[in-house]
Amino acid sequence: MFKDLDPILHSQLRLAVMSLLIGLKEAEFTYIKEKTKSTAGNLSVQIQKLKDAGYITVEKQFKDNYPLTTCKITSQGIKAFEQYVKALQQYLHVK
Amino acid sequence: MQDNTGFSPQESLRLIDSMIKEARNKYSENGHLYLFWGWVILFCSAANFVLAYFNLYDKPYQVWWLTAAAGVYQFFYILKHKTNRATKSYTDLLYGYIWLTFGVLLIIAIIITSIKGNWDFLYPQILALYGMPVFLSGIILRFIPLKAGGIVCWLLAIVASLISAQYHLLLLVIAIIVAWLIPGYMLQAKYKKENK
Repeated sequence: MFKDLDPILHSQLRLAVMSLLIGLKEAEFTYIKEKTKSTAGNLSVQIQKLKDAGYITVEKQFKDNYPLTTCKITSQGIKAFEQYVKALQQYLHVK
Repeated sequence: MQDNTGFSPQESLRLIDSMIKEARNKYSENGHLYLFWGWVILFCSAANFVLAYFNLYDKPYQVWWLTAAAGVYQFFYILKHKTNRATKSYTDLLYGYIWLTFGVLLIIAIIITSIKGNWDFLYPQILALYGMPVFLSGIILRFIPLKAGGIVCWLLAIVASLISAQYHLLLLVIAIIVAWLIPGYMLQAKYKKENK
């Protein structure tokens, strides 16, 4: 039924990550984990998938000896997100 | 939240909506520095006025050196709290640039005034300029006390150009209380309530 919906985005956690990042310039891994109420392991896997699709960039740094992962949405990601929302609206017949 | 792919378009939209609301316009700091600077500038203005008006000291403007010490404090405060910021929003970015613009305009106004040598118009200019970041902050944060504060600054700028320059600092004191400290504390209270 939802064959036109981008399979990368049509996953609850990946969509949640993208929805958070669309309104922010960048966000730390811990922030995304807290807001999406997900586990670190699952979130890492989904973030990697979004990164592989070119929808987000992931920057890994060290701050005070702790790893710090920052995610940022790419222009390709914004485009995909907008198309996904458009496809949803078509399903729901919203103009 | 699981890696669930079998959900409806309605659920999708609800999820998008809830996440966007989570990230929207969150004040990413508690306003400590903003209020701190309010008190510093209030103290300097009031001290400068009292020292000059009652002829207590021949270089009353030297109290403004306190802002340099405040700058050092701000530097270390930011250094200490930098790691606590988990996100950077476009609001933060815009907010930063608005204050940067204000800072640049303020420096230009001071340079022009010092070249022209007419210091009587410095404070009306500062009041007019200061209304800008306050008013725009009110627009961004959708916070009426800040918008009103900005307008008060602009009115005080006009009043300042009509009265004797020796009272300008008093108008600055009023502007800081009305457009800085009062909305600042109201915003902090709102922030604390939202982050409970």
